[in-house]
Amino acid sequence: MPLELLQNLSEMQIVGDLTVLSLLIGGIIMAGGVIIAKIAKLLFHKYYAPTLPKDTAKNLSKLIYFGIIVISFLGFTSSQGIDLSGIMVAGGIFAVVIGFATQSVVSNLISGVFLIFEKPAKHGDTIELPDMGISGTLLDIGTFSSKIRKFDGTVIRIPNEKFFTSNIRSLTISTVRRADAMVGISYKDDIENAISVIKNEILVTMPFILHVPEPEFRVEELGDSSVNIQVLVWHPRDDWSQAQPILLTTIKRALDKEGIEIPFPQRVIWDAKN
Amino acid sequence: MKIMNNTSENTFSSYGIYDLNDNLELSLPNTEIKFQQISDNAFSYFREDSEGNIVEKMIPVKSSEIKIELAPIRPLNHPARRTGYVFLKFDKEIYLSENSAASIFVHCPIEIGIFLINGSNRESLDWITCNSMNSRFGLYGSPDTGTLCKYSKVSLATDYSDSIPYIEGVLKIIIENTLSSGQTIDKVVFPMTDNSLYYEDSKTIIDGIKITLKKRAVVHIVDVKTIAVETDWTKSPTWEDTTVGTSVEMELD
Repeated sequence: MPLELLQNLSEMQIVGDLTVLSLLIGGIIMAGGVIIAKIAKLLFHKYYAPTLPKDTAKNLSKLIYFGIIVISFLGFTSSQGIDLSGIMVAGGIFAVVIGFATQSVVSNLISGVFLIFEKPAKHGDTIELPDMGISGTLLDIGTFSSKIRKFDGTVIRIPNEKFFTSNIRSLTISTVRRADAMVGISYKDDIENAISVIKNEILVTMPFILHVPEPEFRVEELGDSSVNIQVLVWHPRDDWSQAQPILLTTIKRALDKEGIEIPFPQRVIWDAKN
Repeated sequence: MKIMNNTSENTFSSYGIYDLNDNLELSLPNTEIKFQQISDNAFSYFREDSEGNIVEKMIPVKSSEIKIELAPIRPLNHPARRTGYVFLKFDKEIYLSENSAASIFVHCPIEIGIFLINGSNRESLDWITCNSMNSRFGLYGSPDTGTLCKYSKVSLATDYSDSIPYIEGVLKIIIENTLSSGQTIDKVVFPMTDNSLYYEDSKTIIDGIKITLKKRAVVHIVDVKTIAVETDWTKSPTWEDTTVGTSVEMELD
């Protein structure tokens, strides 16, 4: 009975040599390919992906999945006796047309591939795109776009082409980072003493500030109203919040303790009659 | 149950194992620790440290009879765990002439861990530092390629008994100069994750290190290896995971 059914199916022609049976076999090949692709993807995620960087794992997973699908499709076409050479020629022309029509899409795709190989930043890095005024944590470099979680908690999607051609400033590539602040002291106060008290307060009260290299002080400007001193301190890269936002508070507290004046802008007016 | 140490460190609690039957108060320099039984199967934990930071925890337990251990730990956790390396800057430089060796003792900062004893396991409950100025960071090398370390200025010690209770242990350093010229050493940088600590009463000693100054091709390098101490003092539980190898090589600067 099943043999008869298969016999009947093989005799039921749809178009040309294409029969219902060959279409069924092709369908089984495609379905098998999809199932194998899903299982391979699942096994990869379970056993190998945890040992790989997140971006690499994601891209390898896609490569495995779509690689098996493409192989299945080729198996399907050969089972139907389809000659792909004609399709290739037509596909080439079609690809040129599609290429012009979807230039930006293809550009984003190619940029995504370049980003994956160049790796200017990886998942979890804190980065800044100065040209776009965007800074935050890189969440994902996808096929067409990348996602960054900004420091305000929102997520921004950037087309890969823009991301690839932007200047990318990595805030986490170095072991340490530098924070800085500018403070003005009055002309009557001793510069060396002011630097000494600021340095002492920073080293005692800010545990994340590096002792080597020591905080650096530069007399930056003899300003209109004050002697302006730049304070530069180093901290572990992940502890920016323990350095930059509280640096000025610490400096002011040190100067207040020693009675060193932070002058207001002032102007001396000479009376010509006297 | 252990009682307060009546030696020169008088009012402070010794390192060791304490029964936690009812209430327990431990006193350390600038730090107070209190355990209180709040029900048949729960204790509260309170700690106020030298910087005024307060930590409070609830400890649900299966049995009302539990034990804790107070022990010195590696100085890698305060103010936050960022590195496994320690950078000790000597208060005096050490000069080693060509093809010579020396053995010195130095003070090395420690932190103190509080562990819950669960059978043969030690579960970390909290850690403290009695001298937060000993817990600072330093960079060995340049900002782009350097190694982040816990940094401390240290003085030379006379021997293993010269430990400063609750604040500094004693570390033995063997320095060997195999170079054909004299060398001055004013600091040592090494991964501390394989150095065990040992305690007795309130004193601490630490596994030593051996530093070899040698030449490889045209480059002078420093080879640092850990050397286990042979002692009958009690070995401290491990607080951190061991993630760094026992040997490290650095360029001589």
